Amino acid sequence: MIYLDSAATTMQKPASVARASAWAMEHLASPGRGGHRPAMAAAETAFACREEAAKLFHVSQPERVVFTFNATHGLNIAIGTLAKPGSRVVISGYEHNAVTRPLHGIPELELRVARGPLFDPQATLEAFRRELDRGADLAVCTHVSNVFGFILPVEEIAALCREKGVALIVDASQSAGCLPLDFEALGAAFVAMPGHKGLYGPQGTGLLLCGMDPKPLLAGGTGSESRLQTMPAFLPDRLEAGTHNMPGLAGLLEGLRFVRRRGVENIAAQESLLIRHLGEGMERIPGARVFLAQDPMAQSGVLSFQIEGWDCEALGDALGERGFALRAGLHCAPLAHESAGTLEQGTVRASLSVFNTHRETEKLLRTLRTLASGGGAPS
Amino acid sequence: MLYYLIVCRSLTYAQRTAAALERAGITARVLRSPKSISGEGCSHSVKISQRNLPDALRILQRLGLTPKRIYITAGNGSYQEVEL
Repeated sequence: MIYLDSAATTMQKPASVARASAWAMEHLASPGRGGHRPAMAAAETAFACREEAAKLFHVSQPERVVFTFNATHGLNIAIGTLAKPGSRVVISGYEHNAVTRPLHGIPELELRVARGPLFDPQATLEAFRRELDRGADLAVCTHVSNVFGFILPVEEIAALCREKGVALIVDASQSAGCLPLDFEALGAAFVAMPGHKGLYGPQGTGLLLCGMDPKPLLAGGTGSESRLQTMPAFLPDRLEAGTHNMPGLAGLLEGLRFVRRRGVENIAAQESLLIRHLGEGMERIPGARVFLAQDPMAQSGVLSFQIEGWDCEALGDALGERGFALRAGLHCAPLAHESAGTLEQGTVRASLSVFNTHRETEKLLRTLRTLASGGGAPS
Repeated sequence: MLYYLIVCRSLTYAQRTAAALERAGITARVLRSPKSISGEGCSHSVKISQRNLPDALRILQRLGLTPKRIYITAGNGSYQEVEL
């Protein structure tokens, strides 16, 4: 099978990730719960994971790296901390439901979308400027669209937010490990990310980088200040109630080490080259509509496309039957599809990891040519 | 042997403290704080030998890693807080 769904989960991982998770199942207990060897070994692994993430994302204090279950969990903490009834919140037109659904759940919230055309970072920045000028309490912006791979100008948006004194939450679900990300330079209130995508950790892991004191989403045991019936005031304990996912964190640590060894810039360059090759190849297929940025700097290793005469889900299925794993539909991001004009039809999405090869993209192109020319069973 | 316990506000903070001291060549071990000095219950401390306290304090001050409290073992198994 050729796996091209890394925007959902990087299924191919460095071998060390699975080894570390398996080892953790047998050797690690719970950090902060007991002073015995397995508990302290778990604490060492958890701390090493925080330190590795702090180095990768330039977080000066590792306790500001908080473990979550996934990016959605972190975004819910961040939004729950900053968005209140009546808050004026500006979001990009490419947000995932992990951002929009928590916001829609807050009563009387004024939600404004800073709309900009696909692959036009300057227009997106100007849209944010216009909306922030109208007055805002919070901005939320994805770094990269999970549907189109559009790289939003998050550094410039962060600078704008700092200038206007507006708190910023960054959804780094599609950029963490794939593009450089400097937490200290951004000055964001929170940056949320999954562990199981570009960081090559197991599912059930995520990170929330905290630039401010958060409001806990969960309450419970932390292995600290146990006599108090309120959550500790300090990080990471304030946000980490309950037992840690140690097999997950041990795997994530190896994923983070892999990314740092490989170099984020190298990963970005490799994925960019491959996505250009794939996109340009698709553009030569009659009937294909390909969402490929003119400027390679505006697109990560994610590419959406449609083939004339094919329902996107049927095309996804047909590719599945031929040994490819791609995701079709709305990708949990109806707002992004609305912004690009694909809400009704949806798209098929190819998304890469460092384990994909030129040969794999060539095979996909050959198969798409066959399907587009009637060599399949279009709906 | 007499030793000091640097009580930290969290396990992670204790780990940062110990890592900073180890990097400076001071042997430091993270352990659960003894019940009698754990304050609000369940905390972690960093154990260092008696002779290393002045150097350790200088290093921690430089890095902004302020100890919550420091105790010295009294030899009979009890702990006495050290005024900083």
